[in-house]
Amino acid sequence: MKIIKKLIIAIGMITGALITSCQKLDVAPKNIFTSDVIFNSQAGIQSFLATIYQDLPIEDFKYVPSANDGAESPAGFEHGGNDWQEFYNEAACTGEEVGPWSGMDIGTGFGFWPYGDIRNVNIMIAELPKHVADLTQTGVDQLLGEAHFLRAYYYFGLAKRYGGVPIITVAQDPGAPLATLQVHRDKEQAVWDFIAAELDLGYKMMPATSDAGRANKYVAAALKSRAMLYAACVAKYGSVNYVDGEARASGAVGIPASAATGYFQAAYDAAKLLDGVYSLYNATPGDKVQNYVDLFLKPNSPENIFIKQYSIANNTAHSWDDTMSPRYFTANALTRSYPTLDLVNLWGTLPITNSDGTPTRYDNRAQLMQQLEPRLQATIYFPGATLRGLTFDMQRGIYPSFSGTAAAEVAKPANSRSYILASSTSTLYQGVQVIGFTGPWTGDDELTRTGFYVRKYIDYTRLQATVNLNTSVQPWIDLRYAEVLLNRAEAAVELGNTSDALTDINLIRDRAGATLYSSIDLTKVRTERCMELAFENQYYWDLKRWRTADVVLDKAHFKGLMPYYVFDENKFIFLAEPELFNREYTFPKQDYYEPLPGGEIANNPNLLPNNPGY
Amino acid sequence: MKKLISRILMGVAILASSACTKIDNYPGPNASFQGTLISSTGGNFPTSGGSTQIWMQQIGWTAPQTIPSKFDGTFEDTQLFSGGYKVVPTGGAFWPVYDTVTVNLTKGTTHNFTVTPYLVIKNFTATLNGTTLTLTYDIDAPVVAGLPTIKDTQPYVNTTALVGAGASIQVFSDANAVTINKDFIDMTAADKSMTLTVPNLIPGRTFFVRVGVRLSDSYNSSNFSNIIQIDVPKQ
Repeated sequence: MKIIKKLIIAIGMITGALITSCQKLDVAPKNIFTSDVIFNSQAGIQSFLATIYQDLPIEDFKYVPSANDGAESPAGFEHGGNDWQEFYNEAACTGEEVGPWSGMDIGTGFGFWPYGDIRNVNIMIAELPKHVADLTQTGVDQLLGEAHFLRAYYYFGLAKRYGGVPIITVAQDPGAPLATLQVHRDKEQAVWDFIAAELDLGYKMMPATSDAGRANKYVAAALKSRAMLYAACVAKYGSVNYVDGEARASGAVGIPASAATGYFQAAYDAAKLLDGVYSLYNATPGDKVQNYVDLFLKPNSPENIFIKQYSIANNTAHSWDDTMSPRYFTANALTRSYPTLDLVNLWGTLPITNSDGTPTRYDNRAQLMQQLEPRLQATIYFPGATLRGLTFDMQRGIYPSFSGTAAAEVAKPANSRSYILASSTSTLYQGVQVIGFTGPWTGDDELTRTGFYVRKYIDYTRLQATVNLNTSVQPWIDLRYAEVLLNRAEAAVELGNTSDALTDINLIRDRAGATLYSSIDLTKVRTERCMELAFENQYYWDLKRWRTADVVLDKAHFKGLMPYYVFDENKFIFLAEPELFNREYTFPKQDYYEPLPGGEIANNPNLLPNNPGY
Repeated sequence: MKKLISRILMGVAILASSACTKIDNYPGPNASFQGTLISSTGGNFPTSGGSTQIWMQQIGWTAPQTIPSKFDGTFEDTQLFSGGYKVVPTGGAFWPVYDTVTVNLTKGTTHNFTVTPYLVIKNFTATLNGTTLTLTYDIDAPVVAGLPTIKDTQPYVNTTALVGAGASIQVFSDANAVTINKDFIDMTAADKSMTLTVPNLIPGRTFFVRVGVRLSDSYNSSNFSNIIQIDVPKQ
């Protein structure tokens, strides 16, 4: 009987709750910020802007270009507290590195579609002029300039992926008829022109300086030089190498070749605006290796134009230090992507082979690296380099003795080579460790497959015990002056102004510790770009805009540098061999444009036709 | 009181059992589509994995689907929803077809497509000398004007009759590719008569072999020869 009483009480309570829950609300919601609260003060606007900045398509440490091959899903621009898969990066899919991708698996993207963020910017642009009384006219104009810059940044992220997309400049009303909401794509050229105009507004309206992580007028100019160079190359090279289809015929993708010169000029002019405002980081010119390492780690570098910051307290720290160096140097975790010998050879073929074809003998591992350009040493950890008091002891195996040429040895089938390999660092050959603590080793995917590790952006000052996942806070430098110089040089050489290009490139080469050029051409400019901006998520887009991806990545296999110890000579030799997984990378031509996301086409069939080939 | 409880329980039971009675009475995917890609120069159009597809989009829907062509140029899909579809062959080494055909798919719908190959491989012969296989063939182009640049040619060797791009043994196939990088119009008669060599085949094994010539079209696609069987004698 007691149970029944309880039951009745319970039923009564539920019924009571249900009946009283249907009260009509007629009070102003206290949990929703109205536009007055946000746009009446700088503090309100800052918190509104924070989301827009956080979502900017900045391809930083945490950017995962695809959800394929076990990368985190959903892929894309990450800003959570545990986005630690730094090795699933663009570099590892394009031959700058080899990594966890099993092939060229990032070409179709991840369905980037930031119209929610664009809507926020559109709301901001519509609201700000109503708040002149609180913000002053100057304040409103500066914020409007910033909004135009932000909108351009989002559209740039779209245009380089899809070509033409709908240009939406006024927040859509969800109550409007469906026909007006389902907008068509604009032409690719119109989108690039819109980006240029937005960045011009940004340049005109924003102040000359800003807090770190926020835009100013020069950030807009720098981004414009990047964007216009992309558009120019789409016009020039995309009109020669393309996949035909309906979207191309309608202009949704592709730009007439005749427009190229105008875009190159716009890129050049924009880059020139930064003349004398920023400069290359050169705090320790006496030690060019250290100087180049520090360029990526020192705050207040005069080279930094636009940076993205991270914080442990805000739960946004990244894991570059922990996942780009092997466990040997860190407190936790593994590496999975490694620079290739093909990248290193951009600096010139390594001196690992004598003129008679025999491998050059070195007394120790570090001797090879010491002859190389400082910038190369600062970009990549070579065998013999040191970090946190430990040495990169890369060693693939031991030759009891070695005779003959390097080429003949590498051409032999593995089972007829006289080397000794091992599956564990504890294996000894006559008292000598066979493989290095840092690889190369194929047994698992955690030590180098190429004989190299990434050095750029690695914070060498941290103690090993502190190098854990989600603890790195060095900012990502999204725009730095060296890139602007490279944009300018490339535009200049495309426009026939080689003297300007030569000056720009030599500024970079001087800081890098490279020998200066006395003449310049397009190949030199492009190679310089690949060297200077290695691992900075530029190369993939460079290959795409130059329309060379399907040539460079055509059944491509990449090489590593395998160090061996020659026992009877007590010397080290280095052999150029296929990276240990010997993966193949082929870029299909239709991937010069990504497919429009299927879900968006279902919402809005007017986006069709999809890009050619999909 | 017990009666009351049982009534409440009964009510709950009735509500629960009647809540999910929607019947899915849509027809299943019971239509099919099959056919052959026919070369305008005669015979089936030989293809390979990951190249030629039949692109199709059901009218009224936005997401396209594809049927990959089999190596002999035929294609078949038996799990399709009936209805009107726009269809077009795409992705292979033939002159692009832009005009879609509308077909009304029901059970057993057949439609053949005629395509004009970029290149035709003729007089394909194979000579085995010890463990070295020598392949000779001539290439011809039905339409020369505007033909994409010819990139390279290579043998495809596999242990099964499924042999082609993406289905071949790398050391016998890709490793024996020969770069061409010429336009057909600039090639001499000698250039168009090609020879490939596959050394070091394994004695006592059976291989299936074909050759392909790759062009720099939208898909970097290849024209293929027919497939032949090679029995390497035991030594």
